[in-house]
Amino acid sequence: MSGSAVLEATGVTLRYGAVVAVDAVDIAVAPGVLHGVIGPNGAGKSSFMDALSGRRRLSAGKVLLGGEDITRKKVAWRRTHGMARSFQRTSVFNSMTVRTQLEMVARRNREEDLDSIIAAFALEAYLDQPCSAISYGLQRSVDIAMALIGKPHVVLLDEPGAGLSQEESVRMMDHIRALCTERDVAAVLVEHDVDGVFRVCDEITVLSLGKVLASGKPAEVRADPVVIEAYLGSQA
Amino acid sequence: MSSVPTAVQTDDPTVVPKPDDGGRGMLDSRVSVGLQRRVVLRGLIVAAVVLVAGLFVPDLITSSYYMGVAADGVVLGIMAIGIGFLANRSGLISLGHTAFYGGSAYGLAIATTHWGWSPTSAALFAIVGGTLLAVAIGALVIRSTGFGFLMLTLAFGQALYAVSTLTSVRSVTGAFDGISVTYPSDSTTFLGLSQADLGQPDTFWPLAWICLVVVAFALWLVGRSRFGVTLEAIRENEERARFSGYNTYLPRLGAFAISGACASIAGVLFALKASYVSPDVLGFQLAGDSLIATIVGGFTILIGPAIGAVLYIYAQGKFGDTGNLELYMGLALIVAVIFLPGGVTGWVVEQLRRLRTLTAGRKEARRS
Repeated sequence: MSGSAVLEATGVTLRYGAVVAVDAVDIAVAPGVLHGVIGPNGAGKSSFMDALSGRRRLSAGKVLLGGEDITRKKVAWRRTHGMARSFQRTSVFNSMTVRTQLEMVARRNREEDLDSIIAAFALEAYLDQPCSAISYGLQRSVDIAMALIGKPHVVLLDEPGAGLSQEESVRMMDHIRALCTERDVAAVLVEHDVDGVFRVCDEITVLSLGKVLASGKPAEVRADPVVIEAYLGSQA
Repeated sequence: MSSVPTAVQTDDPTVVPKPDDGGRGMLDSRVSVGLQRRVVLRGLIVAAVVLVAGLFVPDLITSSYYMGVAADGVVLGIMAIGIGFLANRSGLISLGHTAFYGGSAYGLAIATTHWGWSPTSAALFAIVGGTLLAVAIGALVIRSTGFGFLMLTLAFGQALYAVSTLTSVRSVTGAFDGISVTYPSDSTTFLGLSQADLGQPDTFWPLAWICLVVVAFALWLVGRSRFGVTLEAIRENEERARFSGYNTYLPRLGAFAISGACASIAGVLFALKASYVSPDVLGFQLAGDSLIATIVGGFTILIGPAIGAVLYIYAQGKFGDTGNLELYMGLALIVAVIFLPGGVTGWVVEQLRRLRTLTAGRKEARRS
């Protein structure tokens, strides 16, 4: 699988002073694959996303996008070259209408078919409303829609279900699953909702205290005694 | 502000207009952000009408005192709408636009008086020079925001003030004495206006008014353009803008330079009108005046600061008569900030909006 991986990161390490938030984590994701990252609070999931997306500088390690080393590239460059992300705390342009911001991002990232993204997130009815006036769930949709504009090869989704109701969260996960396959995107999904991750992801990495506890197919990870003991066991 | 949804929302002239789809919400797959020809045309017509109407102001205001107030207000207003543009589009409040205003005023004075340039080429030189200065200072300060930006711009403005008063540059700037603007010969004119004409409010007026309308229209175009949308996105959420593929430094610098260009134009107009430039044009007082005018007028609306500037100059004259200028100006500012959070123009727009919803509600009630 790693031979065809579009996103490949090795030895990703992020230190904040003496604290090692992410400790030599490897990941490889192929197009169309949804890769879940789970772990208890403080496992370094969001830090890992920040490291992959360029929001934080790596202390050590390498990130490759389509084989090209992008470790030192700026986030704007990454976005226009095929790596997009969404945020745990919804990050949209509040004063702008949904239409204006989607079009702006579409223009920047040469999206030909914005309509299909709008349709995929059922945003048609809200296009002319400012983002500050729509519900949190819809803002979330706008956030993720913006990350999918321009057919990025890699999408990093940081807790897309955060702040959504159980029902909304389930729908969002199904959605992401479908879009990932349809658009042939390599997606990394950080999520608190462990059941949701096991349901929709093709591969799963379990982080604990910044280190990889286990990584592989959902069934393998679920059966891993280390994971059961350290993480899943307490919930089973 | 919400634009009417049309099927053809593109400024690409090669795109063949498609039939209207009934204004449904779905997007045209082609991108529609930016300047639409119809909107631009409407703006152009409004600007032309306002421009022509304004030329009759000297016929309405017969008092040369009030004409002077109007002319000074418009000059300050050009700087203020530049400051307001930056505040509105980039969320940056500057106290340093005197650097470009004063810099270009000195540029004009030095080029005409010391170098013997014609006022026309001196004016061009001063505006270009002031704008380049804005690019240079902006390159250093534009990464900061909020108070940091406010203080840095103030520091640059005050540094330039200090430089202009140095004894070592006295032969160039005249230090505290300033410079009288002297044209190469008595018959030299600026766009057909003699130095005496420029000094008279009613003959100076058309020049100032045309500049104001042209600057306001240009800023309006920039604000509505794709560049303007990018600026708004950066103001709203810089991180997301970067994660959407935008370099955020250059657009902010561009906005700062545009805003500095407005101040430069105002500085040149001031020097042409006053024929005398002193360190006051770089001073803190003027920096404060221009910012207060911007806030009082309200910068949520493009021309708000210009209206604020005229009100400000008018009030200064009135309050000055009482001998307690600072006291009354201070009180007026407090009232404006507390009771008119969007400035005078923001308040007017708010009232109009309320009136509209009220009448719409009544109509609705009558129908049912």
